[in-house]
Amino acid sequence: MEKQYKTIGEDAWKNNVEKVNAELFIFTYGSLVVQLVKDYEDYAAVNKQLDKMGYNIGVRLVDDIMARTSLERCSGFTATAEVISKVGFKLFLNVAPSVASWSADGKEFSLIVDDNPLNDFCELPPKAVQDGLWYSNVLCGVIRGALEMMQMQTEVEFVRDVLRGDDTSEIRVRLLRMLDEEVPASDD
Amino acid sequence: MVVVYTIYIFDRHCECIFYTEWNRGRSPLSDDSAGRPKSGKGPANTAHAIDRAGTHLSGDAQRPVVWPTSATSTAHRVSPESPRNTAMEEEAKLVYGVVFSTRNIINKLNAKDGPQGGNPGGFMSFATNTYRLHYFEAPTGVKFIITTDVSTTSMQPVLEMIYRNIYVEYVVKNPLFNIDPHVSTPIENDYFRAVLNNYIREISSNTAAS
Repeated sequence: MEKQYKTIGEDAWKNNVEKVNAELFIFTYGSLVVQLVKDYEDYAAVNKQLDKMGYNIGVRLVDDIMARTSLERCSGFTATAEVISKVGFKLFLNVAPSVASWSADGKEFSLIVDDNPLNDFCELPPKAVQDGLWYSNVLCGVIRGALEMMQMQTEVEFVRDVLRGDDTSEIRVRLLRMLDEEVPASDD
Repeated sequence: MVVVYTIYIFDRHCECIFYTEWNRGRSPLSDDSAGRPKSGKGPANTAHAIDRAGTHLSGDAQRPVVWPTSATSTAHRVSPESPRNTAMEEEAKLVYGVVFSTRNIINKLNAKDGPQGGNPGGFMSFATNTYRLHYFEAPTGVKFIITTDVSTTSMQPVLEMIYRNIYVEYVVKNPLFNIDPHVSTPIENDYFRAVLNNYIREISSNTAAS
């Protein structure tokens, strides 16, 4: 099963994706974060804003994934985790974070992002580290937005980041509940 | 030879965000008595909305009419007096009701029903004496419905193509399209309409496609 998603992700990445220069992308993201820091002057607000931007990206990206692959809805949250890592991250960032630290009830997992491309060429000032800036927080929003479109309400947050001196970057994904499909409003 | 009559697109909130028609004899959009406000009351009536949709991009006089536009949509009506095409709203609701219930009963018979919806039972089409209705549901819950002549049996590839290469490209990736997951927005992108129209023309004239 895991293998299969890996193949889907790699095939789609090879054949169906227009590539953009990685450095251009990384620097654009970097200047975006810098601009947000200037505008908000508060790292917590920047985190929040990045998450919001990511959310709006995620609700669109999920359709893009579905259009490029012929994936169906996942049978369970385990499959979802694999798809996020092997297909989602692979398609858009060309990395495949490993899925780890499942909680006992199977509703929480971590994505270990060893080589987050957004981190390249980036060094956080000590003040930013101290005040809790999660530089790649946009990724959390993307995951949250994408999953919401697939009827899963989640909480996604960074718990470790290489840029803040941790040995690896870790994104924690927590499934809150499955959303029901909307039914048409009745006439009476 | 495929004869396409109508296309409906419904979003996750059960709202019709796009409708267009070809070769359809009588419809709530062309029907004069339906839904239009009495003449003279406000310049923006249904005819105006159709004009807006029909112009631009190409001098093609045969562009089909579309509905809804932001002027007529239920969700985004600017003011209570804005024109609405009640007959069309009714029809969209009924169509949604039919496919929704059909899909649900099919899921149920397959023992694959659940509150998350989706189309695991594989509802593809149903036919009457006069037309066949084809159904495709994207994993994100957007529903595509196309009606054709009875003899056209498989439109699944066409619907998937519309989703993958037209809807995603021209609607989802259009930054101006408001994709707020909690509000419905009608599709008003002229490129989307033009590309969709061309594509339907193409399959209509291509005998090999059926």
